[in-house]
Amino acid sequence: MAASDFLSQTGGGNASVFNGWMRILAFNLLMATSAASHGQAIDYDPRRAAELRECDDHAYRGRVEQAKECYTRVRNSSATVMNQAEAAWALGDIQRANSLFREAAQNKNQNNSLPAQAKVRWGRLFLQAHRPNDAVVLFREVLQAAPDDVYARLGMARVYAEQFEGQARKLVEDLIKEDNDLAEAHLLAAQMALEEGRFDDVDASLDKAMRSIDKHKLPPLDVYAMRAVLDMSRRGEARPEWINKALAYNPRYGSVYQDLAHFQVMRRRYREATVLLQRAVEIQPDLWEAQAELGANLLRTGDVVGARQHLTLAYSGDAFSATTVNTLRLLDRVDEFELQSTKLTIPAVQGTGTVEVELRTRLARSEADALRPYVQQLAADSIASLSKRYGFEPREPITLELYPDHDDFAVRVAALPGIGLLGVTFGYLLAMDSPSGRRVGDFHWGSTLWHEMAHVFTLELTDHRVPRWLSEGISVFEEWKTGPTPGVTVTPDALVALRNKKLLPVSELDSGFIRPQYPNQVQVSYMQAGLVCLFVEQKWGFERLVALLRQFTKETTTRSAIEATFKMPAADFDKAFDSFLRERYGTLLAAPEEWQKQFEEAGNDIKNQRWSDAIPPARRAIELYPEHIGPDSAYLLLARALDKTEQRYEAIDVLNRYRRAGGWEPSALRELAKWLDEAKRHEEATEVMAALNYVDPLNTDQHVQLGERLLAANRPEPALREYRVLMALTPKDPAAAGLGIARSLRQLGDRAGSRRYLLDALASAPHYKPAQELLLQMIEEQKRNE
Amino acid sequence: MNAARSIAATIALSTGAICHADTYALIVSGLGGEAQYEQRFEAQARSIATAAEKVTGSSSRVTALVAAGANRDAIRQAMRALAGKAGRSDRVMIVLIGHGSFDGEEYRFNVPGPDLTATEFGQLLNQIDAGEQLIVNGTSASGAVVDRWKRDGRIVVSATKNGGERTATRFPQFWLEAVTGPAADINKDDIVTAAEAFDYASRKVAESFKSDVSLATEHARLEGDGASKFQVARLGAAALAVADPALSSLMDQRVKLERDIESVKERKATLAEEAYYDELEAVLVRLALLQKQIDAQAAHPAATTSMLGGSHGRI
Repeated sequence: MAASDFLSQTGGGNASVFNGWMRILAFNLLMATSAASHGQAIDYDPRRAAELRECDDHAYRGRVEQAKECYTRVRNSSATVMNQAEAAWALGDIQRANSLFREAAQNKNQNNSLPAQAKVRWGRLFLQAHRPNDAVVLFREVLQAAPDDVYARLGMARVYAEQFEGQARKLVEDLIKEDNDLAEAHLLAAQMALEEGRFDDVDASLDKAMRSIDKHKLPPLDVYAMRAVLDMSRRGEARPEWINKALAYNPRYGSVYQDLAHFQVMRRRYREATVLLQRAVEIQPDLWEAQAELGANLLRTGDVVGARQHLTLAYSGDAFSATTVNTLRLLDRVDEFELQSTKLTIPAVQGTGTVEVELRTRLARSEADALRPYVQQLAADSIASLSKRYGFEPREPITLELYPDHDDFAVRVAALPGIGLLGVTFGYLLAMDSPSGRRVGDFHWGSTLWHEMAHVFTLELTDHRVPRWLSEGISVFEEWKTGPTPGVTVTPDALVALRNKKLLPVSELDSGFIRPQYPNQVQVSYMQAGLVCLFVEQKWGFERLVALLRQFTKETTTRSAIEATFKMPAADFDKAFDSFLRERYGTLLAAPEEWQKQFEEAGNDIKNQRWSDAIPPARRAIELYPEHIGPDSAYLLLARALDKTEQRYEAIDVLNRYRRAGGWEPSALRELAKWLDEAKRHEEATEVMAALNYVDPLNTDQHVQLGERLLAANRPEPALREYRVLMALTPKDPAAAGLGIARSLRQLGDRAGSRRYLLDALASAPHYKPAQELLLQMIEEQKRNE
Repeated sequence: MNAARSIAATIALSTGAICHADTYALIVSGLGGEAQYEQRFEAQARSIATAAEKVTGSSSRVTALVAAGANRDAIRQAMRALAGKAGRSDRVMIVLIGHGSFDGEEYRFNVPGPDLTATEFGQLLNQIDAGEQLIVNGTSASGAVVDRWKRDGRIVVSATKNGGERTATRFPQFWLEAVTGPAADINKDDIVTAAEAFDYASRKVAESFKSDVSLATEHARLEGDGASKFQVARLGAAALAVADPALSSLMDQRVKLERDIESVKERKATLAEEAYYDELEAVLVRLALLQKQIDAQAAHPAATTSMLGGSHGRI
């Protein structure tokens, strides 16, 4: 059953309910890497023309001049247009190759097979020119005429694999079943297995690839490179053996280092990747993709100058890369951001002392002063909490970047606009959407920051060895346990997956993130990973979760780490986890229709203003599914019904329970604050209003109200913060904020400061009556004291 | 000078009469096309017209043309009437609400019957002699008229950057908010100027698009000098002063103190910090005390008081 089926059967099935579950966006992807892509990849097609093979041999052996001479000859004098196109491509003349392939693909005078072969190769050219969609069009054209065309299918598999799409695996398996002699299919299978950590499968695939390569006398460079990667993945570092073999075959084969770097980036080991990429461009300076990847990688570690240098080089040789162009454009606008450093004092992990952690914030100038206080506060709280819990103090400054334009953020982390992430962590550097980058209520930026900060600890404590699932799981778990919106919230699609037995064994959970097999599997995998951590905590205690994480301070696999930590086979762990889930969600899973029925009934009653009637079904819906805290959650329905039937005290209790369950919908919290005020529970109301700063910090009314409340409660320090933020948000209308600051400073005893802010406020708005009143009051007091 | 010592001093109040020019307003809501727009445009026009009465001091100086009454002939007639009434020393404010279109050459204000073109409207405008003019064109494509209508002594506000921004506009709704409430009154003097209203409305338009996470389809423009002096709304005591000579006199004194404040602010760079704040404080205290008098007068128009020991006759 698909997630949408579950929603229609058990989740209310309407758009607003679905939107409610879009909170899943708050669980960010840890990292985004561009797909592995290579320069002109080796053409494994046995139909490749002999005149090209002669040139290829020079190229694959690193004999640059001879290769150039040979390809030039073919380009200028070959009788076959397609060979001219191949030669132009090999010479780096992409435009000419494109024209020639077009001509070859349309050439009616060739034999029947040539146009299809030309289209496939033309598609490969598009792939190299970073235009996979155009490549797919050509592959599909070929497949329409000849559905079994092996090389068009291989082309499609390559596209899917590079885009981390699940259908790649099935396509490659089918191709291998049909023909076990396809070197490229085995290489693709090996690559995907490598990305998913299935090392034994990599071994087997590379053996098969090598047999085919030997048989057809093809260059073994890809196999050597992948062997080096496998070696590194298994041992933590690559032994020279396979690198040396590759370089012996071709001393200019920078790709061997680029491939190693690619897999280091996939494991978020950016420093190690940088060293490898530097080596790649040393021996092959015109390996433009390596130059671009080096630039991107330097940016991940905060080296803006180095990044620009290598990206510029990459652009000089490959102007077709949108990622390079986008990133360079973003770097051109670096002045729009303000980098500020502050020292945070947090409790030491050992003993009772404190340690300092440097926090660098890179915020858009337009909103820096408004956001910084909350960003710093939340960063300080999260660092203090996480360092204590995981026994790890950050060893380097932590940089936090918030982007008001989501596309800027997307370019920053993946070099492409339009990705659906909210935040990304590259070790000690976190980048995320600013609260202004999305519609209010779309995401809880405070939770996003907390989630990302947890990655800093899991990555750095393990020197980036932690598997993706565990890093994400701990981040989700920390959101639930210690973040600004505590409460375990599991989404319907995860429950669908559980019900349909689609959750993955923990040892394979990484593949749910890397190469999802069904819609929403990435989101389901986040939930599953968080629940695994919750399961560990509840069954063995939190310390065992830390112990599991610490297994990854050395090279190991998930399977081994599970076995070492829990003294049980991974399969038994999976069984115990499954039992835990079925116990926890048994009632709901047994009768999801019941929840749907009650939820819909309550919703209909509310819609028709049958307030009393709505109460029993809303209560029942909450009993069945207390973790449903989206915008239309049953908590909100029940609170409304109770309020309308003059049961305000109970309504407040329901909204408080909603908050404790992780609910943060801003209008609900505002309503709660209002009700608490009316119930004269002002302190609680103020606390609810303060929590809104981590959802909607750019709302000026929010700061006015909160500042007023805090002053009324004789809490001038936080009031001062609110008014300073208000000042930053209203530079053209500074009077109200100036007066607030003056009043706060007055409560703090800073009379001189208070006077100046008051006079500045009145200088901007001389007729502002509340400020005039305070001025006259100050003058009277001064007079009395004289 | 320490303000505490000056508090008891009598403020030298200027009682010199200030010659008031008349202000005239014309508000037009054009064709809506659909019921929802029709109703919205008409409601906006009526509310802006009501607010304009507080600036002009009389409903007789405000003309509102709405619905079927806002046709081309009626507009021409109203414009000619304005030209007949408004002299050189007067002010004229014209607000257009509705849909506009631009075909690349000519802007058209969509009204019942034949549309009114920018050319014809410009000719009608040029017949008005008033020394200070404000034209607010809140329609779609209104940016097309700015360069054609602007001239010395005339401020032209448009809801859109050019004739290419053709989507129904949000600007008039925020202009309405600006002239009917205190939100746009940055300096809190109960008077909203064209500059304040424009800043407020254009900021709110931008915020509304941002809040919808949608691409902004309009970018307002203001061309011409004097927008920070051109009053488009009066609130509180400022509104009452139009019809109350005593209050009006106090408001005149307030204007003088405002000038004193500006004078201190202008000298800020030449003064030591403490001296600057001392001087500022002194004049602000005088203004605060005067404001109390103004408020008292506004609350009880029949009574005249002097809170500072000075005596002011009832005017």
